[in-house]
Amino acid sequence: MWQYEKKLQYPVKIKTPNPRLAQIICTQYGGPDGELGASLRYLSQRFAMPYPELKGLLTDIGTEELGHLEMIGAIVYQLTRNLTIDEIKKSGFDAYFVDHTTGVYPSSASGVPFTAAYLQSKGDVLTDLHEDLAADATTTKEQPAFPRARKPLI
Amino acid sequence: MKKLSGAQFAALEMQLFLDTHKNNADALKSMRQYQRQAAEYRKEYEERFGPITHNDPFGDTRFEWLNAPWPWENESEAKK
Repeated sequence: MWQYEKKLQYPVKIKTPNPRLAQIICTQYGGPDGELGASLRYLSQRFAMPYPELKGLLTDIGTEELGHLEMIGAIVYQLTRNLTIDEIKKSGFDAYFVDHTTGVYPSSASGVPFTAAYLQSKGDVLTDLHEDLAADATTTKEQPAFPRARKPLI
Repeated sequence: MKKLSGAQFAALEMQLFLDTHKNNADALKSMRQYQRQAAEYRKEYEERFGPITHNDPFGDTRFEWLNAPWPWENESEAKK
């Protein structure tokens, strides 16, 4: 079971809203390589893990990913605070806004809603660990991709 | 809050290490030390801002947990 702590793993304090950036960061919430997929992946795979080390590690990492999910949610929320209609239209945030207003919704940057098809749980230790390695590698692609995606926009 | 998050994060990192190195007594000692540190910072934080979990013993007549700051909100939102 889980118990909630009313705090973020690391504080999020954004002063200047930026709806365009929010739409990009949102993919880390509910996109193909986002925190929601990560936590569901690890927390689902652990049931089939044969070793205590792996059951423990997947439990702890899956739990930590939920903490990351909450931080990303806080970032998206704060980036879309107090927007004017003009800001929404100019930034291109209108496409998100028409569906969700400023509600935090698990979708990719291009607007695809979260799906469990982003992850696999195969009941086999080697298959699942390979999937975890692949999933982890996506973050090394996202980190350089974020500034690349941001540059022409800001 | 920064001190609390720092100590919690350090304890968590040691916890993840221990998941695959359960016989490492140094790491275990280090995790316990960070956990104790986090407990102290938590107490300091809660005395100033309110309870972080439902279990924390604050308030005799009112459910104080609801009034502690929501982690995604800033001060002006909290005053609403």
